[in-house]
Amino acid sequence: MTSFQVLEGEFVNLRPLQVADAELTYKWRRADRAKFLNQGAASVELQAKWIASRPSVEHNFVIELKTSRPVGMLSLIRVDMANRNGEPARFLIGDEDAAKGIPVAVEAMKLLYELAFDQLGLVRVCGIVAVNNKLMVKWQKYMGMKEEGRLRNHLCQDGEFHDAILLGLLVNEYRKTTLPRMNILIAVGRGKI
Amino acid sequence: MLDKKSVQAIILQALSNINDERGADEQIQICLDMRLFGTDAVLDSLSLVSVIVDVEAAISDVSGRDISLTDDRAMSQAVSPFAGVSTLTDYILLLLSEAA
Repeated sequence: MTSFQVLEGEFVNLRPLQVADAELTYKWRRADRAKFLNQGAASVELQAKWIASRPSVEHNFVIELKTSRPVGMLSLIRVDMANRNGEPARFLIGDEDAAKGIPVAVEAMKLLYELAFDQLGLVRVCGIVAVNNKLMVKWQKYMGMKEEGRLRNHLCQDGEFHDAILLGLLVNEYRKTTLPRMNILIAVGRGKI
Repeated sequence: MLDKKSVQAIILQALSNINDERGADEQIQICLDMRLFGTDAVLDSLSLVSVIVDVEAAISDVSGRDISLTDDRAMSQAVSPFAGVSTLTDYILLLLSEAA
């Protein structure tokens, strides 16, 4: 299991995922909101084993409010330090009610990007999103990700095959576009705008 | 020139688009006096971005003008444009009233 320091924000922290989170994260992964993620573990026990077996090239986090209430999860995986790239993944707000009106998703992703670009010195992050995951496609593009390709029939959901969009973000794009937009959305949540 | 009702309709359509992506038990109650973001609001930040993207696109399509709802200008408003449908409507009308 990977370990890393707690990444602290104004509204949320990213706390390293632990085996003790198995039951909660298993519940989140089984909910309808997780339908666009890869099929998760089939039981709490298998979820615990999966958490314990995470390799060192992954950074897996629980998103917590400042009250320590866990509300979601997020990871940086496939970190390749030779080529200085990685993949944001497993992004799920499990407790939607707790996240309403608070820039949870924005700040969680900002903290992950700070890890990727500022701490690890990556020059690029990329990943795939199912073409029918319209909210996430909009989100990622709005946050500066560029569509780099389309993988045909790449994902199988409920027996149906869907294309996946390959999205990528370079460090200069993160600083120029992503970070300012994130800061404004966080300011919106702060109530100052 | 878009009027208040047209802008409201665009915002409400953007909110309806969110419901299209949600399950039956996760539908947002859409109405003109709903709070969008902040205290007692109904949207999370993922949904807020969806509204922003859809509203900006629709305004551009209808008016022929591009507007940005999340730039430094928004930060200077006395009331958050994203507090509710009415504040967002007023802010969009303000942007559209200015010379391109």
